[in-house]
Amino acid sequence: MWYIWDLSILLSALSLVIMLLLTARRLLQERRDRATAEQRRQVLTALIAFTENRDREALKAVVLAVPAGVAIDAGFEFIALLRGEERDDVLVAFNECGLPARVARQLQKGNVAARIHAAEMLAALGSDDASASLLLALAQDRSREVRIAAAIALCDLGSLPLLGTALDFIGVAGQRSRRLIELFRRFPRSRFNELAVHASRADAPPFIRAAAIDALAHAGGFGFADFFAGLAGDASPEVAAAALRALGLTGHAQAPAILTRAMENDDWDVRAASAESAGRLGLPELAAPLSALMDDDVWIVRYAAANALRSFGQPGERLLRQIASAEVSRRQRTASLILAEGPAA
Amino acid sequence: MIADWSHEVVLAATILSWFIIGAGLAQTTIYLLQLVFAGYALSKRPPVARSALLWQRYGDVAPPIALLVPAYNEALNVVESVHSMLALEYPNFEVVVVNDGSKDDTLQRLIDAFKLVKFHRPYEEALAHQPIRGLYSSPMTERLFVVDKENGGKADAQNAGINVCRAPLFCVIDGDSILEPDALMRAAQPFIDDPERTIAVGGTIRIANGSRIEAGRVREIHLPRRLLPLFQVVEYLRAFLMARLAWSSINTLMLVSGAFGMFRRAEAVAVGGFTKGSMGEDLDIVIKLHRYMRDKKRKYRIQFIPEPVCWTEAPETLSVLARQRSRWQRGTLECFFRYRSMLFNPRYGRVGFLGFGHILVVDVLGPVTEVLGYILIPAFWLLGILSAEYLLAFTALIFTYGVCVSVCSLILEEAELQRFPRARDLAVLTAAAVIENFGYRQLNNFWRVKGWWQFLRGNQGWGEMTRTGLGGAGKK
Repeated sequence: MWYIWDLSILLSALSLVIMLLLTARRLLQERRDRATAEQRRQVLTALIAFTENRDREALKAVVLAVPAGVAIDAGFEFIALLRGEERDDVLVAFNECGLPARVARQLQKGNVAARIHAAEMLAALGSDDASASLLLALAQDRSREVRIAAAIALCDLGSLPLLGTALDFIGVAGQRSRRLIELFRRFPRSRFNELAVHASRADAPPFIRAAAIDALAHAGGFGFADFFAGLAGDASPEVAAAALRALGLTGHAQAPAILTRAMENDDWDVRAASAESAGRLGLPELAAPLSALMDDDVWIVRYAAANALRSFGQPGERLLRQIASAEVSRRQRTASLILAEGPAA
Repeated sequence: MIADWSHEVVLAATILSWFIIGAGLAQTTIYLLQLVFAGYALSKRPPVARSALLWQRYGDVAPPIALLVPAYNEALNVVESVHSMLALEYPNFEVVVVNDGSKDDTLQRLIDAFKLVKFHRPYEEALAHQPIRGLYSSPMTERLFVVDKENGGKADAQNAGINVCRAPLFCVIDGDSILEPDALMRAAQPFIDDPERTIAVGGTIRIANGSRIEAGRVREIHLPRRLLPLFQVVEYLRAFLMARLAWSSINTLMLVSGAFGMFRRAEAVAVGGFTKGSMGEDLDIVIKLHRYMRDKKRKYRIQFIPEPVCWTEAPETLSVLARQRSRWQRGTLECFFRYRSMLFNPRYGRVGFLGFGHILVVDVLGPVTEVLGYILIPAFWLLGILSAEYLLAFTALIFTYGVCVSVCSLILEEAELQRFPRARDLAVLTAAAVIENFGYRQLNNFWRVKGWWQFLRGNQGWGEMTRTGLGGAGKK
């Protein structure tokens, strides 16, 4: 049993020595932090001065005089506040100081958090080599979060490879991330067809397809209405619900028929989505199916249907009052609740 | 005859000692493994330092969250707490304060401060709870709802909040805790990165005693000036940074703290919400979630992430701390025995083997064997029944490994998170990590054994939690 004792002494002593070293490191770091804060202040002061006098050489002198990490950090925060010519001028100065190259190294060699941040900074700095570094990260980085960040940065730079290729690089596990919604929302209009192709791929994860539909609905407009109408009957409830919500945004000649059909779908999310879209479109022919939907087994669907009727304006309110004053039923109770919603009288 | 008898005594003492030392060895091995897993998890996913970056990155895709705040006799702090919650940095959230039949003027203070008016909000009665007397909204902010209900306990109030809220995610916090401004954004990250599988996320609870608090925010982090809360700082670091992070890394996290946990509403409703009257309602709901998801054969993740921080006040007196620890022990035992069919049940995979196995070794057997060890091992040695080897082995398991585990938790904190602002704090905490093993640990185990005894006797009382208040005012 001696080994239990010996090992415990060894491990405890080791842990105390490591902690001692970390405390010493922290003492040094405290001094370094004070210096860094001062250097950061210098960079920010120089940047503010630059926006007034455009003296690029003076800015470069300050940037080169401080550690690159400090300049990058302060610079990235500052350029987020700038737009137009002013921003372009600062970026030129940063490029001339070689900051993007430094960020590119961080994209390769930092930890996960640093690599994600580097991808974002490269998109903001927009140097000539940024796309190459980001493409490399998209293709080879071992963290899917970094690959997604690289894809978003590439999209901002207009250098994202074909969507299918990018998603392959991101990998199946990464295709569950809500960050892809961000990627799709940043997609250039000229490449919307790629989103549409992906949204209609039955073998793609439903989450991704739904995100693509959502992005198209918000930015693509009526041009994709037929496409959404086609997907409203998709076998995947997630995709069908997204297509129905999209139809609520764009409208479609066949919308009443499609939405009425969807209100009978087995999946409650699809029924709720169709009610929501019906409310958005406010078409009188949808009033009857919506009032029928207020008998649904699922509360969320009943609430969505009643809310949709309420958003019809006065005709909807009239119908709700009529239902609320009828004999007691699930529909009647839902109507009463929705009519009472709001500050108490 | 006498020789035979003494031989049997020695044999019995040796077996008992082996059992005690074996249990200690198992516990220590678990801790050391946890350290390895936690270290690996932290190195694999280093924290994002600046919250502004998070907002930029996740602001547009962050899902709506309802912050559920059960409040019982919180008149003293409730207004300040709600103000600080409303000022959280998150794009889409609502604060649902549930006044659980407070006997003081908690509700009136809220009505006065936020000019609350009665409000009708349709909601589904998906979970059972005590009747709601009224819902209130504020013309000053769309984000605030107050539910006034009859008293039913914390779990009951949380269930009422779950019913009333509309967001797909809800976050439970204690009314007297303080969330860091970016805590919601950080806790929501797993729901953004893996929205289909993530069903619950826990964050870190830290001790605010001694820190400077203004307007419901922790402005300056300081260590507690008193010894008892200082030991609890080390204890919390060990519990969160080591244990939860380690279990989370292998998807076996059994506890998301009731003081700060985020859940997907659909699954929480599917398991029946929080169990009313439970002493450990936070442990209970996580076990129910594991059971439900495994029964349904659905892929899921229950995660702990260390960066989102919720500050809480630690008990400063022995009597209050004793009540708290005994209650926690009863809560753990209650859940362990309620869901005992999951223990070592292959149907529940690593949750049944590792999660429940850990509860068995560390929480169910741990305190009893350790207290037995304090009494029996030195006694056996003094009587000459056992050799010094046994005594040394037991001493090593309790004291020296204890020091090692506590200091290693501090190492994890300093190597990856660095939340303590000064080098002096690290030195103080290192000293506390050593000293707590000589006295505080033993006291703690005594309280836990007391909790065992109360559990066996069916004592269900919560006991009075006297606090001085994070703002410095006294309250009960």
